[in-house]
Amino acid sequence: MSVDANLVLGTVLFCIGIVGFVSRRNLLVQLMSIEIMLNAVNVIFVAFNRAHLGSFDGQVFAFFVIAIAAAEAAVGLALLIAFYRLYHHVESDEAKLLEK
Amino acid sequence: MFPLLGAIINGFFGAKADKRLITAVGVGTVAISFVLAVVAFCGLYVARAQGEENVRFVFHVYQWFSLQLPQGTVLPVNIRFSMDALSGLMALVVTGIGGLIHLYSVGYMHEDPSYSRFFAYLNLFTASMLILILASNLPLMFVGWEGVGLCSYLLIGFWFENPAYAAAGRKAFVVNRIGDFGVLLGMLILAGATGSFEFAQINAQASVLNAQFMFAGLSMSLATAACLFLFLGCAGKSAQLPLYVWLPDAMAGPTPVSALIHAATMVTAGVYLCCRLSPVFAMSEVAMATIAIVGTLTALLAASIALVQNELKKILAYSTVSQLGFMFAAVGMGAFAAGFFHVFTHAFFKACLFLGAGSVMHAVHAHGDADVRKLGGLKSVLPITWLTFLVSCLAIAGVPMFSGFFSKDEILLGATSNALHAHSAEMRAIAWFVFGGLTLSATMTAFYMFRLYFLTFHGSYRGHTAGDDHGYAEHPHEAPASMAFPLWVLGFGALAAGYLGLPHIVPFVGTHLPNWWGHWLAPVVYSHGSHDAMDAINLAAAAGIGAMLVGISIAAVMYRSGQPRPVEHPRALYRLLLDKWRVDELYQTIIVSPIKATALAVGRADFTFVDGLLTRLPAWKVRTFGSWLVRMQNGVVQWYGVVFLFGVVAIVSWITVPHASIEVQRFGARYVLKAEPGYGYQYRWDFNGDGEFDTTWQTSPTRIVGREESTAESAEFTVEVKNAFGIRAQARGSAETKVASAAGVHP
Repeated sequence: MSVDANLVLGTVLFCIGIVGFVSRRNLLVQLMSIEIMLNAVNVIFVAFNRAHLGSFDGQVFAFFVIAIAAAEAAVGLALLIAFYRLYHHVESDEAKLLEK
Repeated sequence: MFPLLGAIINGFFGAKADKRLITAVGVGTVAISFVLAVVAFCGLYVARAQGEENVRFVFHVYQWFSLQLPQGTVLPVNIRFSMDALSGLMALVVTGIGGLIHLYSVGYMHEDPSYSRFFAYLNLFTASMLILILASNLPLMFVGWEGVGLCSYLLIGFWFENPAYAAAGRKAFVVNRIGDFGVLLGMLILAGATGSFEFAQINAQASVLNAQFMFAGLSMSLATAACLFLFLGCAGKSAQLPLYVWLPDAMAGPTPVSALIHAATMVTAGVYLCCRLSPVFAMSEVAMATIAIVGTLTALLAASIALVQNELKKILAYSTVSQLGFMFAAVGMGAFAAGFFHVFTHAFFKACLFLGAGSVMHAVHAHGDADVRKLGGLKSVLPITWLTFLVSCLAIAGVPMFSGFFSKDEILLGATSNALHAHSAEMRAIAWFVFGGLTLSATMTAFYMFRLYFLTFHGSYRGHTAGDDHGYAEHPHEAPASMAFPLWVLGFGALAAGYLGLPHIVPFVGTHLPNWWGHWLAPVVYSHGSHDAMDAINLAAAAGIGAMLVGISIAAVMYRSGQPRPVEHPRALYRLLLDKWRVDELYQTIIVSPIKATALAVGRADFTFVDGLLTRLPAWKVRTFGSWLVRMQNGVVQWYGVVFLFGVVAIVSWITVPHASIEVQRFGARYVLKAEPGYGYQYRWDFNGDGEFDTTWQTSPTRIVGREESTAESAEFTVEVKNAFGIRAQARGSAETKVASAAGVHP
């Protein structure tokens, strides 16, 4: 089955997002990685939609994802600001208060 | 049952009630019972005077329950009370002397904070005792038996804040319980053999119990077995060897308790039981001999211990044990009426002695017990107590014309008539032993009682020169009226009660005298035949009087001046007696310590094994496993993201890989093939085992196959499943296996 180039793009972006989230300490960079992942998912949705014409489920769902991503970004930034106020830095390593 | 009512009222409401109300309820209920007992007794007396032989009042309340025996007989257990000659007398003693002691307690316990509790317990005790003696069958009597045991525990440990007193109460209850086991077994043997629990029936059928049976190679009669078990109960309740050890410790209770329970009533319950079932006991020579021997030995042992004791109430306690031994020796010799007569007189003079001791202790402000070496010279200070105490001492020593003389004489007579005229040589030998032992203990009795008397009342008061800081009061004072009145009555009784049972032949003289006592009890209590032989009578009287004279004179010689003169030679013997023959220590090593050690060992085993296996091991496992799992929570967000990713990968792989399984069911000539349904699945079936699929792609997971379409032998089917992504999987199954596994995933 020939794989659509758009799909490849989306998958690669998703992986970049994951790796960025897991391996970076800076909270802001982690948030950006999450945004990358969400946008990669959008790309994949639209790519599938392009491959299966006849309904535009994929594009509609992409809109949903955009809206949710916006809300989540707002919450995430609020958390980051609260974090900064507590620790005066944004290293996520230090958020270990729940450690057993 | 007025005392029961009084107990309930005082028990529940007494804590806050006014003292006079408590007194009125507590003493009043017993007084009312006494009046009722007198009335009932008069009724009995009148009926007897009119010629009826065995008159009983019976009051049947209801049938409590009934036992079903295997052979189909039914044994009813009734709540039924009966009063006949024996229980009539006993009821008078219990309510009368009990009432006096209640009255005495008003004065004695006046400053005690638990005043109401005391009267509640006393009333409960009186009620239980009345149940015991008025019961017309064995189980109800056992209810009363246990009840007095319970009250004994409650009252001995009345001041339970002191752990020694509480321990004494516990000891009394535990030792008593051992006896209760005997009573239960005896009761069941009797009921099983005679078919009834009622005393009247059992006594009427006493001859049935002669049936022999084999037990461990020995042949014995049912009567023997039953009587020996019952006597075990009596030994526990009435403080015989080897179960007497609770009685001296029971002096930890307040003195009125000692007077009531351990002089007049509870300890005599055992003798009452023997008299009540006297026809049964008379059936068994072995049991009678055992009782006689045990009684004599107890009398000797306790008297010997009492010789050297230094505490007032302890001497009286051992004296009680010794006198109980007398009573049981009488029972063993077949003189049941004489034993019961001694119960009667003993109640008077022993209660008087205990109350007098209480008066002495009240006067000198002694707590617990009074050391006689620190008393003295109380004759002038406590005149009423002195006089009644002297009368009672004369009675217990057996001075003629006092009550104790008559009862003791009857007992000795029972022994001598058996000794001289019994049928078998063994009976004669035993009777001689009993006679000698009783005479010796009578001598010792006279001696130690008068030693006690002289040391307490004569000489000069030694109370303020006590070595330790617990000296006694400087100026002892006489008892208040509420305490003095019972002393007077009891003292008079100690003097006069004996005249109820005059020996019907005067020794050495030969005239006949009226013997009301034996005559009264004759229809109810078994008696051993006539006591008309002059030689026996003379011997008994001589021994009794001789013992008394010897004992009193030795005591007078040694202690006339009222100064304590410890006779400590030979040293070893003195120490042995002082240590109560070290019986308590013996029990401690033989019985108590092993039990405690076993309990500790078992407890440890329980902790290790049961607790360990069922509780601590699983808990440890869970904890360890949890601590290993908790490493997943390190608080680092990225780590959580990684775990998240793993979860996502797992879910996705579960979704994308199709699950193929096949289930084959056989319905007659057809097979029904079922595969797992799934979203967007398509199925392909192969049902003749040739490797090629026989159907096209279908969406239904179920396929019905006729027999002829499949191969006959193997009946093996394969399904291939394709999901929406185009990935396929296969599964193989046959009619034998239920579910087959998935195999082969390929896109």
